[in-house]
This record gives sequence, structure tokens and C-alpha cells, in this order.
Amino acid sequence: MKRKMKIEDFGRPARQLVTLEPSDLLPLPPPYDEPRPLKQLSEEQRERYEASLDGFVGIGITKPASAKEEEEFVRKFLSGLKKLLSKENNWTFLQPLVHSLDYCVKCQLCNDSCPAYVASGKQEIYRPTFRPEILRRIINKYLKKESGILRKLTASDIDLNFTLLARLAELAYRCSLCRRCAQVCPLGIDNALISREIRKLFSQEMGIAVRELHEQGTVQQLKVGSSTGITPKALANIIAFMEDDIEEKMGRRIEIPVDKEGADMLLLHNAGEFLAWPENPEAFAILLDAAGISWTLSSEIAGYDAVNYGIWYDDVQAARVAIHHAEAARRLKVKKICVGECGHSHKAMLVIADRILTGDLNIPRESALPLLADLVCNGKIKLDPKRNDFPVTLHDPCNMVRLMGIVEPQRKIVRAICPQFREMEPHGVENYCCGGGSGFAIMQSMNFPDWRNNVSARMKMKQILEAFGDVPDPAQKKYVCAPCSNCKGLLRDLIEYHGAWEKSGIFYGGLVELIVNAMTDLKKPFIEWEWH
Amino acid sequence: MNIFLVVLTYFGYIFIMAMYTTKAVKFLRLPRHLRWELYPVMHEERYRYGGSYFEEIDWITRSRRKGRLRSIYFLLKEYFTMGEYLKRHITYWLVLYPWHIGFILIIGFHICTFFAAVAMLLGLPVSGESSFVAGRLFYYVLLVMGVVSFISGVIGSVGILVKRLSDDDLRPYATPQNYITYLFCLAVFMSGLYAWYFVDPTFSEYREFWMGLIAWRPITVAPGAALHIILFDVFLIYLPFTRSMHYITRIFAFFLIRWDDEPNLRGSGLERELIKQFGQQVTWSAPHIGSGKTWSELVKK
Repeated sequence: MKRKMKIEDFGRPARQLVTLEPSDLLPLPPPYDEPRPLKQLSEEQRERYEASLDGFVGIGITKPASAKEEEEFVRKFLSGLKKLLSKENNWTFLQPLVHSLDYCVKCQLCNDSCPAYVASGKQEIYRPTFRPEILRRIINKYLKKESGILRKLTASDIDLNFTLLARLAELAYRCSLCRRCAQVCPLGIDNALISREIRKLFSQEMGIAVRELHEQGTVQQLKVGSSTGITPKALANIIAFMEDDIEEKMGRRIEIPVDKEGADMLLLHNAGEFLAWPENPEAFAILLDAAGISWTLSSEIAGYDAVNYGIWYDDVQAARVAIHHAEAARRLKVKKICVGECGHSHKAMLVIADRILTGDLNIPRESALPLLADLVCNGKIKLDPKRNDFPVTLHDPCNMVRLMGIVEPQRKIVRAICPQFREMEPHGVENYCCGGGSGFAIMQSMNFPDWRNNVSARMKMKQILEAFGDVPDPAQKKYVCAPCSNCKGLLRDLIEYHGAWEKSGIFYGGLVELIVNAMTDLKKPFIEWEWH
Repeated sequence: MNIFLVVLTYFGYIFIMAMYTTKAVKFLRLPRHLRWELYPVMHEERYRYGGSYFEEIDWITRSRRKGRLRSIYFLLKEYFTMGEYLKRHITYWLVLYPWHIGFILIIGFHICTFFAAVAMLLGLPVSGESSFVAGRLFYYVLLVMGVVSFISGVIGSVGILVKRLSDDDLRPYATPQNYITYLFCLAVFMSGLYAWYFVDPTFSEYREFWMGLIAWRPITVAPGAALHIILFDVFLIYLPFTRSMHYITRIFAFFLIRWDDEPNLRGSGLERELIKQFGQQVTWSAPHIGSGKTWSELVKK
């Protein structure tokens, strides 16, 4: 059952509603055009978890043991749905949600803007209007309690059961919330928001959320300090390591300021950088030191990890994390908070938290990118673009670009220091999501990474390959610049999955690494072209 | 019959205005939400490439100019061209456009008829031979608006019906109510076309009817014209039960959601509004929420 699946089928019993065939997926250019089998779940996993949507598991909802449990599941969902549509419980997004639920005319204009829908070979369930339609029908029947005739007229006959709801929850994690669909809607309908609100209902009412986002994400961050598990003590060791590393690379030691009270700015990094890409915070330290800027890191709980996974699934958790960030800044008496290369943290701190933080917690917050552009373009650091004389393309993180309008600073930088810079098409506010948005990059549940690498990230892979289409030789090293930790995490997995480092010499990294690589007072290149 | 037409017409207009106003007020009174803008934001100076004030260092200390006229122009242009549909789905645009032009012009036709009737009551003759420019202008504008509206509406209604039925992407999401609406529209536009062609080629009878409405002086109209008046009035009563209000809510969605980049400054009215909202009780039930507290209490957990 593929494209022809009907909306009415969504709650019907089936081992698997949709099966993705590798040959149906969006074709990639050679040598990446050979269809690869998709990882299947074991029978044991199927037995235990609800996996009847598309055979992939992002959340891992366990099946109810009895009819009573199933009834309770449905009851809780409906209770959450009422709250989702109430002013008191959902002041945060009620107006946008109501608008998108009530005024979509289902013209399907948004369909082709969705990278997952297109890359999947246009599977019906991934259509941007599909999940909102399910939710709309549930509301019409169970909340508005439309009569039988009216239900027929509005095609709202739908029967709730565990399978339907578990599929809906899982389906909310097949949309990366990139909001490309919303961008093209002439009526201002936002189907991505509806995916987010479904996730929120499951989390805030039923306690059902992706483990990597909730237990290992926001809960761990608020408890130990970081979603990576880095404690303040571990951070001190990492900072010492970074200082040693900088000394080795530069020939001189730079002290990385931590908890420096009264500094001009608190720099917030995604803590994933400290573990996976320490060269990124190192490059920041080198640049800020060279520019003579007064800055500091924080070692407080959550103060050294900019991530805020709450913005993808839970308003309360999002607010709690944002408040922790602001409190760390307040205690250090900094003049402003500056967010490093992390897209969703940008949006969390500058946009979402803007109407959460009030009074003395409302500390000025801004992106690091304009500052970096100022350093590069106004000659505040000596740079030699010849040091970056290799093909470079720029990935636009959705959160920074389409959702915040930070488009040009990063371009000014790469245009100035990368002679072989080329854009992906489309780019800027019309970019495609990397495929790791809304938590996908860190979701490792069962076979979910296979879905990510083959479906949500497929369009990005195609774009990257096309951007470097004129230089296919793997001996020519190429650089995908992604000023975002989650996008980098996705790119790491994606490039590895497709073997693009070996086959095409495609590498990835951040923006500051390129800037430092071009610094004239560095004896050897900062970018080491070592796959890790 | 004459009284019935007068009462039905008054009721139709009052009903639709009351319903739309109620719906609009209800929507506008929903709480101030978290920011959820989407770029390009048309009032931004950097709108051409979708840039925002976040592209500046210390943006909070700089003045922000908003090009509100540009935003209005953008929306109006989209109303009259439906450019996104033209760009992305031309076969759909080919039926959607005449359908909507039919609506826009039929509304314009009725507004103009009202003013023409008022003008006539004040002594201005409205006809092709009127000695007054305004009289001739009313006459020709009404004629063009009415005729183009009916023809365009008929083409659009048939077209959209066929398109919805034949397009694999559209059909599964169309409801019986959609088809009823298309057929109803077709009946309204067809009856208008019939009334114009066979009964009232200069719309003079229709203007007389409106004069009678305004002056509380029921006027006899021919059955063909009466049928169109009844259908149009019932259509006005029916519209609030469809998604037709998207024509208005679209403005709200753009200004209050998609382009709402108003920062929350310390001590501002927005901040006061938010603090008030933080005092509301939250009853979400998941264990990690800590239900029963106010928003501000539970987020400081």
C-alpha cells in the first residue's frame, strides 16, 4: 500500500501502513544512484513497539497490554487535545494553531516544498497536509462533537484507537519542522506547527516523547548541566584540553575564560561541540582573543550547553531551559548573551525565549554570526583567503535562516575568505533542511537513522552532490560549511552513510574553522581534513 | 414576495457581518503567543533576501523601521494575482483565479450597487446616457463588474469542481461540503448571468431594488432577478459555515504570526501582557510538568 493509501486507512489494523521501497526514493546522482535496502526492525522489536506506520521507530511507544490500557491511552489523548485548544494551557501557540487548523483549504500547494515528502517518492503519509487532516477530523468528531450528517459533510468520520494515535505520534516525528511548507502557503497555514503541537500534546499530557529529546535531552540538561552528560567538572577538563590543543596548533597558549564576572558577553555553545568538534569552540576562542573581545563561558548547570530541545516538543521544558540560560548570564552580570554555531539554540534563545524571559532575565541576546562577519569583513583579523582555496558550499540551518532571517553574515564571510565558494540551490530562506532538524540528528532509536539518511536528509545529499558536481575527484577535498551543531551531526552521519568522503572527498565543518584556517599568523592549517 | 426579498437581503448581510465579526474578534482575542515568525518578513528593511534585524550586532540598541505599506502591498498583490498558485500550480491557478475573481467582483458589484442606489436616491441619475460623469461611471463600472463576475464565477466554479474531482492530490482531501459549495457558487453565478442576460441587461432593475431596500420601499423584481437575489442572500448566510473567512484571517496570520517579529523589551506593554499570562493555571498531566501550578511557577522548577 503506497501512494493510494486513504486517510480513512490510518487507524485500520495493518502490520505496516506504508512500506518504503528504495527504488521509489528520490534518485541521487552517480555514484550514489544504486538503491540500498532499508534496515528492518526485528520481530521482537515489532512485537514490543508500535511500528505499524512505516516500519521505522522514532519514539518507541509500547503497545497496551489490555483493552483497559488502550481505553486509558485514548482518554488521555482526548484530555490533552482539549488542553491543546485551551487558552490557559496553550497560550504559547493557540492562535497560530487555531488558524492552521481552521483555515487550511487543502490546496496542496505546500506538498512539493517538503523535502521528506518529495524524497520519499511522495508517500501519502508524509504529505504536509496529512497529519493536520487526521487531527482536524479527530477534533471535529470528538471535541466539536459534530452530528452524523455534519461529519459526513466534513468527512470527519474517524475512530480513535491506540494504533491510530500511536501512528499519529510517530508521524509527528517524520516532519523536521523546517517550515518550508508554511513559507509557500498563501494563506499563512503552518502544517509544521501542527506536527510540533501533536508532539507537545503527547509530551505534556501523556509523558510520551523521544528519549533523546526528553530523558537524555532536557531532563538531563536541567539535572546535570548538559544533554551530552558533561558535568561542570568534566567541562573544566575539556577546557584544559582545548587550551592545550590551541597551544599546540598556534604555538601560544590562550586562556579560555570561564565564569568571568562582568565580561561583555556570555558565549553559549552547543555542548556537543565540546565532545565531537572541540575545534569549533577552540576557533571561537582564537578569534575572540585575536579581536580583543571581553567574553566568558559559564560553568553553571545548563549555562554551558546552549541546546534547548524543548522547542521541538514541549513548551514547559523549553521555558525551563531558557530560564536556566538566562539565569547563568544574570549571575555573571554579562552585558549580553551570544549564541555560537547552533541553529536551534539561536531560535530558542533569540526568538522563542523572547516572550518567556521578562524583567532582569531579559538580557540582550544575539547571534555570533554578525560579530564574526564584522571581524572578517572589517579587517579586524589578518586573513589570507588563499589558505581556503578549495571548493566550499554553505548549508543554511533552517532555524537561523528561514526562521530568524540571519542570511547574509555567513555569506559575507565565506565570500570573503573562500575563493571557490559556491551556493547550493535553492539557498537562503528557501534552503532545504539538512534532514536532522527538530531532533532527527540526535535520534538513534532502532532503525530511525536509516529513515533519516534515506528520506529526510536525501534532498540535502542531492544538493551537496550537485554543488560539487564540477569537482567529482575525491582527491580534491571539499568543505560543506554548516554553522550549526545539529546540522553537522547530521552531515557526519549522512556523509559516512553514503561514503561521500571516500567517493567524493566531501568533508564538513563549521564556519569559524574556515575563518581561523585563513588566519595568517597560524603556522599550519587549522582544518586537518581528518574524518571523525 | 417583495417584503420577503427585502427581509432576506437585510438578514443575509447582517448575518454574514455579525458572524465574520464574531469569528474575527474571537480569533483576535486569543492570547499573545510565542514568536513564530517566518522569513522573509515583508516589513523588514532586508526583506529582499529574507534578512532580519538579527543580522546586526547589538540589534537591540538600534532603531527598527517597519515598511508597513510594503506588507500591505504584498498582501493586496497576492489577493489580486494569486501569484503563489501561478508559480507553483498553474493548472489549479487557471480555475482558482477566475473563481476568486468572480467573488471579488461580485462583492465589488454589490458595494457599488449600494452606493449607486444611494446616489440615485440623492438625485443622481445612473445610466449610460446620464448627463453626470459619476452617473455614467457607476453605470459602466457596475456593468463590467457584474458581467465579468458572473462569467468568471461560472468558469471558476465549474473548473474548480472538475479540478478537485480529477486531481489525485486534491480529491482525497475534498469533502462533500466542498462540492456543495462549488455547486452553490455555480448556481449563484449562473443565476446572475441569467438575470443579466434575460431579465436586466443594464442592472437598472437591480439598482431599483437596492433603492427600495435603502428607502424601505419594496420594489417588484422579475422572477429571474428574484431568484438570483434569493440565491445570493442564502449564499451570504452559508458562507460563514465554510472556510471562506480565510480571506480575512489570512491578514491576521501574516501580521500577527508570520511577520510578528516584535521584540519583548523590558518594561514594555508586551512584557506586561506576558507577565499577566504567566499567572494562569496550567493543568497538563504529564509527570514532569507538575500540574496545578501557574505557568511562572512551573517553569522555574
